[in-house]
Amino acid sequence: MNHRNTAAFFRVEGILLSRGVLAASAYIAGNAKKFGERALRLGLVALAAPVHAVLGQTDRALAHRLVHLAFRGMSEDRVAVLADEYAEDILKGKLLDQGVELMKRAQGEGRRVVLLSDGIASIMQPFARHLRHFDDLVCNHLEFRDGEATGRLQEPVIGGASGGRWLQHYAAEHAIDLAHSSAYGSHGPDMLLLSAVGKPCAVNPDFVLRRSARDADWPIIEYRD
Amino acid sequence: MVLHRVPSVGKIYVLLRPKAQRSALDRFERMVATSPAFKPLHELHGAGMGEFIASRVEVVEGDVTTPGFDIRDAELAARLHRDLDLILNCAGLVDFDPDLREAMSTNVDGARHAAEFTLRCARARLLHVSTCYVTGLRQGVVPEAVDPAFSPCGEPFDVTREYAEITTASEQIIAAHESPDAEAAALAETLKQMRAKGQDEGNAMLLRNLLRRVKRQRLKDELIAEGQRRAKRWQWHNIYTYSKAMAEAIIASSLPADRFTMFRPAIVESALEYPFPGWNQGFNTCTPLIYLLGGWFRHLPARIGNPFDVIPVDYVCRGLVVAAASLLLGRHAPVYQCGSSDRNLLTIDRAIELTALAHRKHLRNHGDTALERVVLSRWDAITTDIDHLLSVPNIRSAAEGLRDWLRESKFPKFLRDTTDEWADKTDDALDTVDTIDKMVDLYQPFVHDNHYVFVSQALFAAPLVEPEFDCDPRNIRWRDYWLDIHVPGLRKWCFPLFENKTPPGYTPRHPFKLPRPPAPAAAPTTPSPRSLHPDIGRPAAAQHAEV
Repeated sequence: MNHRNTAAFFRVEGILLSRGVLAASAYIAGNAKKFGERALRLGLVALAAPVHAVLGQTDRALAHRLVHLAFRGMSEDRVAVLADEYAEDILKGKLLDQGVELMKRAQGEGRRVVLLSDGIASIMQPFARHLRHFDDLVCNHLEFRDGEATGRLQEPVIGGASGGRWLQHYAAEHAIDLAHSSAYGSHGPDMLLLSAVGKPCAVNPDFVLRRSARDADWPIIEYRD
Repeated sequence: MVLHRVPSVGKIYVLLRPKAQRSALDRFERMVATSPAFKPLHELHGAGMGEFIASRVEVVEGDVTTPGFDIRDAELAARLHRDLDLILNCAGLVDFDPDLREAMSTNVDGARHAAEFTLRCARARLLHVSTCYVTGLRQGVVPEAVDPAFSPCGEPFDVTREYAEITTASEQIIAAHESPDAEAAALAETLKQMRAKGQDEGNAMLLRNLLRRVKRQRLKDELIAEGQRRAKRWQWHNIYTYSKAMAEAIIASSLPADRFTMFRPAIVESALEYPFPGWNQGFNTCTPLIYLLGGWFRHLPARIGNPFDVIPVDYVCRGLVVAAASLLLGRHAPVYQCGSSDRNLLTIDRAIELTALAHRKHLRNHGDTALERVVLSRWDAITTDIDHLLSVPNIRSAAEGLRDWLRESKFPKFLRDTTDEWADKTDDALDTVDTIDKMVDLYQPFVHDNHYVFVSQALFAAPLVEPEFDCDPRNIRWRDYWLDIHVPGLRKWCFPLFENKTPPGYTPRHPFKLPRPPAPAAAPTTPSPRSLHPDIGRPAAAQHAEV
């Protein structure tokens, strides 16, 4: 079959990586400049964690915004160095081989492989150096002003329910035929992404996505570390 | 860089003094053969390097501290006066607080002799390398201007009078140093040192040698103190910036404006690209500070937002070429400042954070112990106020209190040995605190007390034709430079010197040797004492100058 003008969309968290944004935020917050600052920022991440879990199924974009508030006032230099360190020393070891295989297969079929990540570009771009089988990485961007993080994520925030709208826009921009494209999601809010393509697939789905996938008769793939 | 990028250059004369029984030519040959700075040139010319250098460079034995540069070959001196187009005076003593006589001899007399030599030349012009910090303890924007009567405190400065006063003061100090009272004080100090070390006071030879050393040190200390007093009186940071400002004043008042220009680099640091990224040499500029921040000391007094005017050494070399070309064309500015603060600002707090992050990167992977890898790597240096709770004076006072308590409290007998041992350890720690305190004091005017922005516009007045001489600091990405080039470069080339280790050497693939002219067949003559022992009979200060 000809797969020209088709794409395969992969949610990074849960499919390619076993770690999410909370762990990354905790790592960066816990390595702030001063000792007191480290405790304070880690406390903020800890406070945001249960809210993130609750909002994770309803408003994931807001959940991400709250978690990244802990970065406010950190220098761009520090965020870049810590993000690079996190990607190299921690994320690299959390790469899920089966996810990479799925990605490799999609690229082998001639599809444009697009990675969607909730993580920030400072982390995901160095991490992506270890992934060869993709064409595009779409992730969140932390806002910096005068060399300092404002704690805000730039629009559009990836990971939320607006993923479906974003997908339509992306497909139009790159002339992608969504009806023949595939998408791999792992969280409840990925449902809009999955329902927008002709070949959806739930990978290591959470409770909400699993139920929906069963209802919609979408294939489900399970694997762990 | 010039030999590499402008191979058609006519002739470069290198004025070098002989040193440690090595002739100027030997010293030059050794430098070219072993310095990594010449690596690109060796790689370009390979086995033909010797011939290439010989065709472009002539080594002249001489000394800037002596009038006429001590060039004894009259024919050579006449040739230089006739042929030279440009004199680049980069001889200088860069210690912040050296012996006043040495600072005067190298930095001030050297500049005077360079100006006199320029006047004797048919057409040569003088490019004098100074420093941006001749501006002294001032605040704000520092223009590219030179005024022989300038002093940072605002009072008119007369360099001739100042030099005469320094000469008189030095002579008085030396005379007082020979007085019976000074002799007695030196002897008392020597005996005290011998007693402290448990040495035999009856050993006459040892006593004589130590006494000589103590006297020399006491004289040097007094001359340094006099230099510091004078520098402070005019509001210069230290003897270095004071003597460099005097040098500028002498040149500006003795040469017409069309015959000279000043080149003032700011804080010169590791190369960004040439001869290769990270190249650096010796104990210089902020290397001790960066080394210090890699240890347990973390509260550096610095004012947030103050510019830290760093410029890579290859940018300085490119700037020198631009200034030299402008001077040769007669389209020069009176002063060229080569810094980054007004074009690509790096603040001191950012530099400190980048330093901490660079140490973190290294220690996490290459720390010697688990303590270094896990704890020290996360022990980030930070910018603090001078009166911070953990400032050096506060730490010293706490350590002194602890030591006194350990020494003077009446502990039970079984604890006495342990408390004495701890008191001794606290004493050792206090020595380290003193060293840190001195270093922090030394850098305080540059990182805390003064807010300078050095205007660097003259270098960019003419359109850039050859991109290899682009010295615009806006091209520098500070994070990449600091983390991947500068600090790793210091770690490789400079930090070993702090740890009494030798930095890596360089050996070109093809051994370098300058072609020697065939030996004359004449009958052997008795060599002059100078050729056997070139340093005998020369002033001590002459050991430091080079052009």
